[in-house]
Amino acid sequence: MTAPPRRIAHLDMDAFYASVELLRYPELRGQPVVIGGRSTQPPTTAADGSRRYARLADYKGRGVITTSTYEARALGVFSAMGMMKAARLAPAAILLPADFDAYRHYSRLFKAAVAAIAPQIEDRGIDEIYIDLTELPEDSLALARRIKQAVRDTTGLSCSIGIAPNKLLAKICSDLDKPDGITLLAMADVPARIWPLPVRKINGIGPKATERLAALGIATIADLAAADPAVLRRHFGPGYGTWLHDAARGLDERPVVTSSEPKSISRETTFERDLHPRQDRAVLAEIFTDLCERVAGDLRRKGYAGRTVGIKLRYDDFHTVTRDHTLAAAVADAAAIRRAAGECLKRAPLDKRLRLLGVRVGALERPDETPAPATPAQGELPL
Amino acid sequence: MLLFKGPRDQILAPLQSVCGIVEKRHTLPILSNVLMEKDGERLTLLATDIEIQIRTGTAVPGGEKAALTVAARKLQDILRSLPESAEVNLTLDEKRLTLKAGKSRFNLQTLPAEDFPRMATADGQQNQLTLTQKQFKRLLSLVQYSMAQQDIRYYLNGLLLVVNGSEIRMVATDGHRLAYASEEIGGQHQRLEVILPRKTVLELSRQLADNDEALEISLSPTQAQFRFGDIELVSKLIDGKFPDYERVIPQNHNKVLTLSHDMLFHSLQRAAILTNEKFRGVRLVLAPGSLKIISTNAEQEEAQEEIELDYQEETLDVGFNVTYLLDVLNNVSGDTIECRLADANSSALITLPGNDRFKYVVMPMRI
Repeated sequence: MTAPPRRIAHLDMDAFYASVELLRYPELRGQPVVIGGRSTQPPTTAADGSRRYARLADYKGRGVITTSTYEARALGVFSAMGMMKAARLAPAAILLPADFDAYRHYSRLFKAAVAAIAPQIEDRGIDEIYIDLTELPEDSLALARRIKQAVRDTTGLSCSIGIAPNKLLAKICSDLDKPDGITLLAMADVPARIWPLPVRKINGIGPKATERLAALGIATIADLAAADPAVLRRHFGPGYGTWLHDAARGLDERPVVTSSEPKSISRETTFERDLHPRQDRAVLAEIFTDLCERVAGDLRRKGYAGRTVGIKLRYDDFHTVTRDHTLAAAVADAAAIRRAAGECLKRAPLDKRLRLLGVRVGALERPDETPAPATPAQGELPL
Repeated sequence: MLLFKGPRDQILAPLQSVCGIVEKRHTLPILSNVLMEKDGERLTLLATDIEIQIRTGTAVPGGEKAALTVAARKLQDILRSLPESAEVNLTLDEKRLTLKAGKSRFNLQTLPAEDFPRMATADGQQNQLTLTQKQFKRLLSLVQYSMAQQDIRYYLNGLLLVVNGSEIRMVATDGHRLAYASEEIGGQHQRLEVILPRKTVLELSRQLADNDEALEISLSPTQAQFRFGDIELVSKLIDGKFPDYERVIPQNHNKVLTLSHDMLFHSLQRAAILTNEKFRGVRLVLAPGSLKIISTNAEQEEAQEEIELDYQEETLDVGFNVTYLLDVLNNVSGDTIECRLADANSSALITLPGNDRFKYVVMPMRI
């Protein structure tokens, strides 16, 4: 007996940060607006109540764009673009500083609205979620409409929803009819609707992998689906090679993980270019420390400490190794994580170039919730 | 090519001197090997784990120069299992090491000597001091049991060595207890503080002899070198700031007990049998004229020991981890010890009467 096909939705808020800003500054609706820049000034309000905004042309510095409205995107301005470069494309665009507190507030609102309709939610960040609709009686289109309406009613924001038999396809779908779209996809639709797309539309194929696939003559997902899995495995390693082959055929078994208690907190980064552990030691050390600091920041924000610190290394041949180190007591600060991660690094082979480095803290506990022990307590020297 | 010919122990002893630091598992496979270099009538043996390096040697018949590395443990295990009286013969042919002894023959693979990593000797300012092996070994034994193991405060996983003027001082702490010992060594040395890694401390403790032969120490800000007998041990130092140990040594504890070392030690040993295995707590109940040592375990079994003593202050009931008390008694010698207490939340200070060169501070345990 086979399980009934799953119905997984991926909900992605449309230009989330920019849309939240437009709620606050409705007069900017329809104009190109970009958000970003560490030194960007918030708008000033004149005596008559009119607001003055910074323009992209006025920006000086090395900041990058966090996000932009669809109008700005039409001018070629996208997130992660350097602001000075963006200023040449759209000098008159309005520039706003990022206000993450506001975005988090709206993030909680939209997730609560969805949860009231479909409680099986996997949180994927501030502006996107997966929803498992399998157990719900309504048909997919009606559910999608209801969810979109609920999000609009509580936040005034629009979103795009893709519904498919798994997370991989749902994620691709939510992007097919953006903004304010609904896309439903069945397994049978994969060849017609997914295969013509470029490989980078698959979440998990980044710019580097896209480049390497292009070198093999693989541009579309159809090309990838037709590729010999043995060739993929040879070029990308057994794990990633097999995954590529499955992903191209729309196969993905990952469950929607609704538990809100994370098992681990990690950060990883793929380098601009492959780095050698010895020749690029200084750069790597800096990236390594930065990752530890970011993980420590995540732990602090979420109120966790962890006893297991691990690292992940991916070499230039896509071979990936991990090393873990379990400590006597949970840690949360960057220096302690860095030290433990450094111990892990000592146990990893460092003779090949690296393309990715990751730092993970697992065996999480909440220090503030640890009850006072009724068991004997050894005193600490006031060192 | 003949590398060595002689009685078993003439090669086994130096091999055992260098092999103690060889890690069983290391990312660099060659580090499980020992480097053997023959030059003239000397065969030098060297092993390292990158943090510590030990070198020693033995006399051999003259001949060609040769160098190789071979699995340290295997060679040691083979030599150890040969009869003590065996005559051993080591030869190198075609990158294989052959060991012959009587009717036994072993053929071992080797790795090239030039691939073997060696620690660079630190240049720059060196602080030189010489003391007897016995002196240093005794100081180590007084404090080393208090070192932390795998503490995230990495600088506690070692031993603080302070040289200042004519004094040498050692401090170790795991955050629960702290041991301090000092000794007059003569001379006028510039002040220098270094943290020796735990592994180095344990290795020195194992290898130093209980005799009056010289131990030469060279300290630089990043490295320590120890020369004793035929052995040279080079160790990296722990780069960190050791905590201010002086502020945890109590000055004004008013309850002073003078106790027979052996009587206290044996009472604690007996009481320890019925402590909770995990927490190892014992209660010291002090009243005029007596000290009671009480322990209970998870099965509600109970031990009680009583020692009569000359004490006239108020009563006190304070808990300690019995291991921490046994540790210090195990490592200090002397007929009597002094113990100073204040209250149930304060540390205990254990010293030797008439000797301010040894101090042991231990925090209580709330039982």
